[in-house]
Amino acid sequence: MNVQEFQQRLFELAEQHGFHDMEIYFEREEKFGCALFKGEIDSYETSEVAGAAFRGLFNGKMGYAFTEKLDEDSLQFLVENAKENSQFIEEEIQEDIFSGSEVYHEGSFHSSELAKVTIPEKIALFKEIENHIYEYDERVTGTDYFILESAESERFIMNSKGLSLKGKQNYIGMYISVVVKQGEETKTGTYIKMTRDFSSFVPKEIAKYAVEEALSQLNAQSAESKRYPVLLRNDAAASLLQTFSPIFSAENAQKGQSLLKDKVGEVIAAEELQIVDDPFLEDGLFSRTFDSEGVATVKKEIVKNGKLITLLHNRKTAEKAGLETTGNAYKSSYKGSLTVSPTNLYVIPSNKGFEELIASIREGIIVTDLAGLHSGADFVSGNFSLAANGYFVKEGKIQNAVKQMTIAGNFYDVLNNIEGIGSDLEFSMNFVAPGYIGSPTLLIKELAVTVE
Amino acid sequence: MLSKSVIEDVLTAALATGGDFSEVFVEDRYTNNLTLQGGKIENSLSGRDFGIGIRVFKGLNSVYTYTTDVTKEGLLKAARNAAHAISGETIIQPVPLVKEIITCAHPIAIHPRETEKIRKVNVMKKAYEIAKNYHSSIQQVLVRYLDEEQNVLIANSEGKFVEDKRVRGRMAIQSIASDGVQIQPGFYGPGAHKGFEFFENLNLEHYAAEASRIAVTMLSAEPCPSGKFPVIIDNEFGGVIFHEACGHGLEATAVAKDNSVFAGRIGEKVASEVVTYIDDGTLENEWGSITIDDEGEKARKNVLIENGILKGYLIDKFNGRRMGMPSTGSGRRQSYRFAPTSRMTNTFIAEGESTPEEIISNTEHGIYTKYMGGGSVTPATGDYNFAVMEAYLVKDGKIGKPLKGATLVGNGAETLQLVDMVGNNLGHGAGMCGSLSGSIPVNVGQPMIRVSEMTVGGSKEVE
Repeated sequence: MNVQEFQQRLFELAEQHGFHDMEIYFEREEKFGCALFKGEIDSYETSEVAGAAFRGLFNGKMGYAFTEKLDEDSLQFLVENAKENSQFIEEEIQEDIFSGSEVYHEGSFHSSELAKVTIPEKIALFKEIENHIYEYDERVTGTDYFILESAESERFIMNSKGLSLKGKQNYIGMYISVVVKQGEETKTGTYIKMTRDFSSFVPKEIAKYAVEEALSQLNAQSAESKRYPVLLRNDAAASLLQTFSPIFSAENAQKGQSLLKDKVGEVIAAEELQIVDDPFLEDGLFSRTFDSEGVATVKKEIVKNGKLITLLHNRKTAEKAGLETTGNAYKSSYKGSLTVSPTNLYVIPSNKGFEELIASIREGIIVTDLAGLHSGADFVSGNFSLAANGYFVKEGKIQNAVKQMTIAGNFYDVLNNIEGIGSDLEFSMNFVAPGYIGSPTLLIKELAVTVE
Repeated sequence: MLSKSVIEDVLTAALATGGDFSEVFVEDRYTNNLTLQGGKIENSLSGRDFGIGIRVFKGLNSVYTYTTDVTKEGLLKAARNAAHAISGETIIQPVPLVKEIITCAHPIAIHPRETEKIRKVNVMKKAYEIAKNYHSSIQQVLVRYLDEEQNVLIANSEGKFVEDKRVRGRMAIQSIASDGVQIQPGFYGPGAHKGFEFFENLNLEHYAAEASRIAVTMLSAEPCPSGKFPVIIDNEFGGVIFHEACGHGLEATAVAKDNSVFAGRIGEKVASEVVTYIDDGTLENEWGSITIDDEGEKARKNVLIENGILKGYLIDKFNGRRMGMPSTGSGRRQSYRFAPTSRMTNTFIAEGESTPEEIISNTEHGIYTKYMGGGSVTPATGDYNFAVMEAYLVKDGKIGKPLKGATLVGNGAETLQLVDMVGNNLGHGAGMCGSLSGSIPVNVGQPMIRVSEMTVGGSKEVE
């Protein structure tokens, strides 16, 4: 059965069973992935998957079910299970089925150029990067991982209130980790990038970046464990912001899981800080013209001059708060239930260069990489204690790499202790929470640093 | 699920460019996921996953493709996509399929798909009540319920053609206790390869109360001291350390590429002689049990370490090629979206002779860990780091005051050599194990054991 036919039959059957408002959310994704190891293709994978989620109101309660097979059995399965599931929902304020926004902004997040790139072309480019990596420095001993992935996906929302929306996007991503050895010391350097612009991959530069990242960590010295001014390099700052981005969700706030609960309109950060949520970012991985409820998305300020302007809402959280939705309803896939997520959320860069920020530090630490974001950070309290790599700075100059560090602090304090914002916006590739999250380099007044 | 002739066509198409082995994995899975928070059902989600995975080998190259498009055209396209990654002339034709009839080794009494959801909700609410009412300091209780029926069909170019039905259920109870100053969690997550009878017969009075008891106990715990101590690790989920630090090192995924400290050491003494380490997928109705693996091989009992001597590895078909060794019935995967690889089922340290009382009374000054929390391991080295959920000080052969913030740090291969006492109270604990082929149900297990010396990291408070 094709999607249209399936949707029609599904709505008919659901209506017979007593559902009044109904929605089908359909997604299809094609993917290619491969890994290289020393010139050989280590793994090679292609896929094409699709699935449909049904959501409907039965006696005023929303029931959910999904399927990956569009057949007779699944029609029955979806309707019967969604009906049964709806009966246990005890919350007073319910999700609803949305009839549509007045205006949907234009936006194309599918690159036809990228769609034309063939698998052999992708592999050839990837092999070229690998060659450059081994040529760049004799201390390179191998790669920890060397993975290429590309995907093309489309999604539809159709509902019984006449809404019918379609979106399409694609991307290509690289995950590279280079291992270097010098004496007894082994270090890794990573390059991770997801984009729609295939021509932005320049093999020689990627190789240089990854190897230099690893080499710069060699000759790591110890340092005194104490509180230091910390310069969070753009990618590390973005990772930290990603980890704590759930605090901007009104859903979390309403559940008592964000300390920003009653802070809208108040100062929550240093005055220099501006954060926006921009669903139309050209190369944004979470770019979209409509959210998972079918609401038109909008670009909005989240933090302006340090003041919290709004939390992120879907229709249900907005109704609870007596507000309008911000178009941030989110489903991880047709298998997920409805929640709230940023789209492309980032700190607006200022005009200070990375070197200029370093020059302002008398004694401090630069953090280039954070690990343990899954377990070492608690977004409810804001506390974090994370493994970090980076350099020691004295009198405005980088002195040396520092042995494995732990940096600890509280994210709410970090927001208030921002003393400098760089010009180098970068996006996080640590998807510990949904959303495409970016930040330039941030200078933090102080954090507790423990060195091994 | 699919006709034999379609499968044969797919297996043939996959070999068109010179592959020497092709395989088809069809999956039709029904799941129910329910979450109960604060006494109310927060989510109730039902789903049906349906897809097919096609794998082709040529020597030591492996290609995988998967799709939800199970029309004949869709499947042949997927097979051609896979074959496309290999170049050459057809060298073999698939052997005609002969259906193999198996009996499920794990009997199911009440099929969850035919069970009214209200019965599931009732069990969850009962668990909630027990956990919530355990003590006045219990602030929050989260109960999660999962059941699934996974139907699979596995066929390959060697003539294998077999179907299996796997029914599983798990309930996870998380309690949070607070005294106004600090918050402490407690957790218990029993599961089984069983139908709904598992939930109805589950001793909720024990499991739900234990989750709360752990949380409440930890409120009055003192910070754990740091240093080297003899450590007593209790049974059931205590086995997670050996699962992570040794079990993964015995998987062919690590051994075949020589990324394991156990590679090439069969017949050598790798552990103290009181240690016998077993992976047994045949244990009736256990959470990690299987009747056949995801390559269609029968589950079996694999003795990995016997009285300290390394006896074998966990091997899947593909890594078996590199190692020149046959499959051990260990090829597993999360779903059709993953190519299978060597994985554990129910892995445990076999029972010894000491009673738990003997182990404790023979320990003058040490740490007793009753329940383990999460942790991580660097596979290449076996270095691990685990949080302990519930720990106690042992003094003069007696269990003393509770300790919080304890972590166990060490190296898997070294720890195996330092096990000096093994108890007679073998127990298994359910968990989910994540690796190359996704997240799969496994049991970890052991009786109470003692490690003569382990590094214990205390809770250094961040100022």
